[in-house]
Amino acid sequence: MNERPLSPRRLWWLAVGFTIWCLAFVILYAMHAIGCAFGWPTTTLRVSLAVVLLLHLIAIGWLWRYRAVAIRDPGPERISTFMHTVVIWTLIAALAATVITFGPALLLTTCV
Amino acid sequence: MSVPIEPPSRGVNALRLHRQLTAIWATGKGVQRLASVNHTVIGLRMMITSFVFFAIAGILGMLTRVQLATPHATFMDVETYNQVFTMHGSMMLFLFAIPMVESFAVYLTPKILGTRDFAFPRLTAYGYWCYLFGGTILTVSLILRSAPDGGWFMYTPLSSNVYTPGLNADVWLLGITFVEISALSLAMEIVVSILKMRAPGMSLDRMPIFAWYILVTAMMMIVAFPPLILGSILLEVERAFNLPFFDPTRGGDPLLWQHLFWLFGHPDVYIIFLPMAGVLSTMIPVFARRRLVGYRTIVVAIIALAFLSFGIWVHHMFTVGIPHLALAFFSAGSAIVAVPTAIQFFAWLATLSHGRPRWDVPMLYIFGFFFAFTCGGLTGVMLAMVPFDWQAHDTYFVVAHMHYVVAGALAFPMLAAFYYWLPLLTGRTAVHRLSVPAFWLVFIGFNMTFFMMHLTGLLGMPRRIFTYSGDEGWNWLNLLSSVGSFVMTIGFALVLIDIIVQVRFGRRVRRNPWESTTLEWAMPTPPAPYAFASIPHMDAETEKVPPGQLATSLARGEGYLGFTRNGWQEALGVHMTSGEPEQLIVLPNATYLPLVTAIVTCAAVLAMLFKFYLGSAAFAFVTFGLFIYAGQHAGLARDYGALPVGRGVSVPPHTEVAGSPSWLSLICALVANGTLFTSLVFGTFYLWIAAPNWPAAVTPQPSRLLALIAAIALAVAAATTRGSLRAAAANRKPHGTIALTVIALIVALAADMMLINGVTPNPREHALGATAAALLTYIAIHAGVGLLFLISSILRLGAGFISARRLTDLRLTRLWVDYTLATGLIALGLVLALPSLVAMLGAKP
Repeated sequence: MNERPLSPRRLWWLAVGFTIWCLAFVILYAMHAIGCAFGWPTTTLRVSLAVVLLLHLIAIGWLWRYRAVAIRDPGPERISTFMHTVVIWTLIAALAATVITFGPALLLTTCV
Repeated sequence: MSVPIEPPSRGVNALRLHRQLTAIWATGKGVQRLASVNHTVIGLRMMITSFVFFAIAGILGMLTRVQLATPHATFMDVETYNQVFTMHGSMMLFLFAIPMVESFAVYLTPKILGTRDFAFPRLTAYGYWCYLFGGTILTVSLILRSAPDGGWFMYTPLSSNVYTPGLNADVWLLGITFVEISALSLAMEIVVSILKMRAPGMSLDRMPIFAWYILVTAMMMIVAFPPLILGSILLEVERAFNLPFFDPTRGGDPLLWQHLFWLFGHPDVYIIFLPMAGVLSTMIPVFARRRLVGYRTIVVAIIALAFLSFGIWVHHMFTVGIPHLALAFFSAGSAIVAVPTAIQFFAWLATLSHGRPRWDVPMLYIFGFFFAFTCGGLTGVMLAMVPFDWQAHDTYFVVAHMHYVVAGALAFPMLAAFYYWLPLLTGRTAVHRLSVPAFWLVFIGFNMTFFMMHLTGLLGMPRRIFTYSGDEGWNWLNLLSSVGSFVMTIGFALVLIDIIVQVRFGRRVRRNPWESTTLEWAMPTPPAPYAFASIPHMDAETEKVPPGQLATSLARGEGYLGFTRNGWQEALGVHMTSGEPEQLIVLPNATYLPLVTAIVTCAAVLAMLFKFYLGSAAFAFVTFGLFIYAGQHAGLARDYGALPVGRGVSVPPHTEVAGSPSWLSLICALVANGTLFTSLVFGTFYLWIAAPNWPAAVTPQPSRLLALIAAIALAVAAATTRGSLRAAAANRKPHGTIALTVIALIVALAADMMLINGVTPNPREHALGATAAALLTYIAIHAGVGLLFLISSILRLGAGFISARRLTDLRLTRLWVDYTLATGLIALGLVLALPSLVAMLGAKP
């Protein structure tokens, strides 16, 4: 048996990437609805959406870098390596999903 | 007292151990069967019950096909047709699909994980009875011709009082909510059991892929069901008490229902698909005779799929008038959700192509799945594109897509799974002479029925129509569809006959006929009530041992807990990630309590249905009382310290550890509860921003003083629960601090009730007041439940179930009160902010 098993708290890492994706979704959807309802100027709304999108991309990107670069050695246990790989790839998937899902915020007409 | 009691006897032989364990775990005969809480019994019952509902729903589907086979048909009148197609959809989704996948999870998960039962057997039984009674209410309503008739998604305003004044919609709202209680309770049970009750040594990376699928699905259910439960409660409150959440003339918005419904509805597709994908990921490697390709990639794909499925609910609402930019979010999300699905597909194909596949009946159904789900997936991507969806929306194209995705993804893997695991249930194998023609009839009938619907849809045939004139060009397609439905039904009938023949006359097979590597085959077939005579230790060495060989060793008691002690039903609790043994879980024995509690819950639902509201409240009160009563005998009434569990390992009982299953289950319950609360907050903001007729004629003026008193009282309650915990941990009596918590919660409750009484505008006159009342009622209910926690703690303190080592009750109470404080502050803050929010609406152009 191992002396210090991988903490159950580390399981939350499996959800971190896509939780940020969800957060981006809620904020962008809400901000867009509020902006359109209150007649924000197109530029203001577009820039606000772009800033929110960028912040979330930075957050996921930073976590990816933190996990991939800062934690180079996940530990000797098989479970640690497994968790490390799965977390890294969920972060990459979340980053790609964020770009594809919310990219239209930068391109399409805002309130039509 | 940390002396081990009844140390395990050595050298027991397999037969003696079997007899000893059976005496403890077996379900009684006759009427005692109703007291069973065993997962094997409940899983089997759920499977059979869901199949009965499948048969009823299937017959209803055939009736709709008879009606639509020819133009101007007079087979049914329009009222009957509306009830029939609504009940077909509702029963297939809520009474068959979800319970069927849950029944697989209930029956198989503990066995595949190498444990003896779920963490909360009484909850499993309660969930089953709720499902049975809820389903029965819906079925009886059909016989009485009072069944729901507004479509399986019950859109408002059609389902509101104005347009559906009878009981029909109430039956759906109450019956389905009742069934959802069952689904939620089972989901929590599954999450806790997978994380805490695997075979020792089974770290998460060693966990069978089936368990990953079921774990993620159960987590999705915990988050997906609450929005619909909230929607159903709000709509029922609107219908019963006239609070206008969905009435646009009084500040409500019918589209709020659609949001809440599809927040559940879309993830539900994946809640049905993922367990079946888990079944496929288990079976395909067995028939390919090689390990599954891409285990880690599949785990990533499942997690991605789970999250993405929550972000695409609006693709069911592309035509309601949402701005294009927002639609693009959902369109893109709907398209990329195909990626993780495709990853699983290619992993399965790679497993088959790199293995040495052999053909048997389950493989036929796997082929059927590949075909149907590929078709459904492709039309799904078509419908994800907004311009196409605008053309095809509400036509039979959507009906075809939905059946290919949901029926194809469920029916074919389900039948494959039946043929695969039937030897485990019965010890016999299928008769090929029937199985093969049955498959082809189902496959041909399925495609004949539903493929034609793509074409009728593209030719413009709308959903839900009762009849048609005959000059639209749909005639022959509809007739073929109807003929196909009968061919499919004959196929299903043949499957049923085949299963009956197999159970009665099938060829007897040795254990593990498929040469599988999962643990459910390392036990007697049919499974014994205790599942494993001793619990295996999973490591690299054990993984190489064939299940048949392992079964013999486990039957001799060579694993963990290969003995009996005190007549306890024992299982092991493990560390969540590593799977190291942590605690001895003593499970409750058979009891009628789940049945009685479900009957009383059913009485509360029926009283509500027949508008006997005081009676409903009384029955609900008794239900809570029964939960407290059930809690009185849970756990152990003394300290034991570390107890030997075999293989030289000793662990404390679950009552003496911090990470007990109850702790994790409350966290799951609060996640579900938090989702419901978040949906309520979303609803409030949605009405504020989107509903017509805001602001109201009367401005809200909530009392800041009362809100402050309620907030302070909740904070005091949270602080005093900590005092109780500290006192008990230090072997001091916590009664004083518990009394303070009771007083604080009563004060919070009183202040909250006064706030509800003073809500303006009148909740019956405008949705603004209704949402404020809903938020405040949420606080009141939670403070009330907090009081129940405290009453239970006081009773259990008196009975000796709480000590310095056994603090679970007080820790659970603290967690509940903390949650009440957090949500209470948000709800009170939002109610106080409503006047400002309303004032802001003046700035709208």
